[in-house]
Amino acid sequence: MKEFAILTLLLVAPPASAQVVPGSISPENRSNSAAPSFNPVTNESLINSDAQPQNWLHYSGNYSSQRYSGLDQVNAGNASQLEMQWAFQLRALDRAETTPLVVDGVMFVTEAPSNVIALDARTGEQYWRYNYPLGDELNFCCGRNNRGVAILGDRLFMSTLDAHLVAIDARTGSLLWDVEVAPADLGYSKTAAPLVVGDMVITGIAGGEYGIRGFVDAYDVQTGERVWRFWTIPGPDQPGNETWAGDSWMTGGAGTWMTGSYDPDLNLIYWGTGNPGPDWNGDVRLGDNLYSSAVVALNADTGELVWHFQFTPHDVHDWDATQIPLLANTDFAGEQRKLMLWPNRNAWFYAIDRETGRFLLGQPYARQTWAERMDEDGRPVRIPNTFPTLEGTTVSPSIGGGSNWWSPSYSPKADLAYVMAYDGETTFFKREEEYIAGDRFTGGGGQTPNPQDTYYSALRAISPQSGEIIWEYPVQPRSTAGVMSTAGDIVFSGTVDGYFFAVNAYTGEELWYVNLGSRVHSGPMSYMVDGRQYVGIAAGNVYYTFALDD
Amino acid sequence: MLVRTLRITALGLFTTVLAVTSPLSVSAQEGTNIFTTGRDVQAGETLFDRHCSRCHGIGGTGGERGPDLTSGFQRTSTDGGLFVVIREGVANTEMLGIARDQGDQAVWQVIAYLRSLTGGVRVEVPGDAATGVDVYARADCATCHAVDAVGGLDGPDLSTIGSRRSPSELLADLVDPDERVQPDWWSMRVTHRDGTTVEGRRMGEGTYTVRILDVEGRMWSFEKGDLAQSERVVTSTMPSYASELSREELEDLVAYLYGLTRIDR
Repeated sequence: MKEFAILTLLLVAPPASAQVVPGSISPENRSNSAAPSFNPVTNESLINSDAQPQNWLHYSGNYSSQRYSGLDQVNAGNASQLEMQWAFQLRALDRAETTPLVVDGVMFVTEAPSNVIALDARTGEQYWRYNYPLGDELNFCCGRNNRGVAILGDRLFMSTLDAHLVAIDARTGSLLWDVEVAPADLGYSKTAAPLVVGDMVITGIAGGEYGIRGFVDAYDVQTGERVWRFWTIPGPDQPGNETWAGDSWMTGGAGTWMTGSYDPDLNLIYWGTGNPGPDWNGDVRLGDNLYSSAVVALNADTGELVWHFQFTPHDVHDWDATQIPLLANTDFAGEQRKLMLWPNRNAWFYAIDRETGRFLLGQPYARQTWAERMDEDGRPVRIPNTFPTLEGTTVSPSIGGGSNWWSPSYSPKADLAYVMAYDGETTFFKREEEYIAGDRFTGGGGQTPNPQDTYYSALRAISPQSGEIIWEYPVQPRSTAGVMSTAGDIVFSGTVDGYFFAVNAYTGEELWYVNLGSRVHSGPMSYMVDGRQYVGIAAGNVYYTFALDD
Repeated sequence: MLVRTLRITALGLFTTVLAVTSPLSVSAQEGTNIFTTGRDVQAGETLFDRHCSRCHGIGGTGGERGPDLTSGFQRTSTDGGLFVVIREGVANTEMLGIARDQGDQAVWQVIAYLRSLTGGVRVEVPGDAATGVDVYARADCATCHAVDAVGGLDGPDLSTIGSRRSPSELLADLVDPDERVQPDWWSMRVTHRDGTTVEGRRMGEGTYTVRILDVEGRMWSFEKGDLAQSERVVTSTMPSYASELSREELEDLVAYLYGLTRIDR
């Protein structure tokens, strides 16, 4: 662990005092009385975050990762009157993939590569900024991204691109601790928002294109010391290692590069795992390659595996299962169940019993040509001749998948799951490739057989009980935007050509859209300050908020 | 430090220190690729597959994350410029520099491979380019296409077509124009709810709007919600010349078009 606190105090600007700044759009919107912003966040608040819809306390809104806002001031009846309230220009060099947290009127938003800024959530004006001093040894796959922070008490926790985890004082932006999670020079990196559970920060790792060995870690919130580690590829003395030919487990990938979910009643952490490596040449890693392209349920206290479900055994198409696990308590086959809903990158929608890991349902939700059906245990029955070849094999979904890292949503009110789906295809190629430490290790690649404009995305509403698509809202060209549903019966999402839009949660009817001028590549969120509901979204390198004008 | 130095040299800011170093540096200074043999191209392809194809696709045909590299480059047209882009990446984009453990030679080999995808490796053609000029005129190609700003605007500008298309691709374009039509040259037929019908080149299309250039050169913009009907046409507006021109005429025309290169402009 490195201690940078003193140095950082010298580098960052003096913290603004926590006072109310009259910065709302109009005098009518100002509070009637002065009160300090921001209060420390308790474990109780994190567990019962749905009882505080004015705040957005988790990357995905709540522990169930439903990305659902309980606010209904903005609703299907008035969404057409949404107006922009403020915009904050990020200094990022890359597109913003962030979802901020909001705590009692203070927003914590991250920017690429590994910075965080505290803003007045009413005005977009800055309290403080923390710029992480990034190391030189960087090997990462897919952009200089950062997707957000986690919070407990007055501490924020953030992943860094060079595979560190840092704790930052939420009131001042001062660094509290900094730990190296894994060596960046070997291809490890970190981009996802962590998840706080109890007095631990739970976090994953990226690097599935560099022959890493994936894991999920827990760190003490106070000290940064590691509490436990779960390897997503079992070692030689562990069950599951036999699903990897020879020594291929040592470079088998199975990263954990997005954020998981948590069920406090079951005390289980759910985390999606990435593709096995090399991505497209499975010949060197024959077997199912556990626990890649799967979800693992871990005992939160110990990190021990309780159950797993592998969506794509022996994945050879780069179909990571790092999507955000949607947890829903709803009826299934006439019985109230604790479900996990999962629109997987492999284009199949799954319902799983999250107490046992038992497969309940599998239905395609996006164009797919690789699996005939799921067997009774949820194992895909593959269509022959769909593996990558030297000459190329065209298969749906595409490399990017039927969906990917962008967040889905579940509305407990409408009892529907929502996902931005893509009906694409890729010609997959296999190549011979030798593992070189720290170098890319993918064993092939893909080619889009037709122009991208040939293919469509669609926001789709899916029944948890049947997997049936209830409605869809077509989007063109391919969208990589997350989805949020609200108690106001709205679903928000975005497009690559810069539109942010709202549709009716029950019907998909178009309610409102606005052109923000740059790609929407993040997930929407919502919060309330001074009795006013805001809806936030990053587009390009700007963070925007919208609300109803008085 | 090495990266910084190479960037400066590739930008043409020569320094005495670098001038006396290895042949690699000399090559970088002049922006000239000395790694252009068939073996270099092959090595470049292997490097490209490993480091670049994740975004740009196998064969550089573009993918869900990166642009097509087979019909030109967005950021630069020179080898020196390509060197900087591959070495350093492009700020404000997803384009990252190639891994630092890859030396200069690897970068140049990738460039050699990229040039091989864009007509960079010149080949002999059977036709006669001078005769091809006459064929070009007789076939009325200039009605729709321009060369050096002379000609029509209803089809792609051909001023540097020989730098982007191989002779076999050019022949295929002439005899089977529907085979490979880029989305920029697709057509749209739309009917507004007021009854107005517009047909023309699909200038742009998104979730909510479509922009069209009609055959009379008028620019239209429609909200899709205002359209009673909308049809996308992905075939070419150019007829096939398979039966219009003889084999010799086609070869002569290909020779002329193949000679229209970036270097000659």
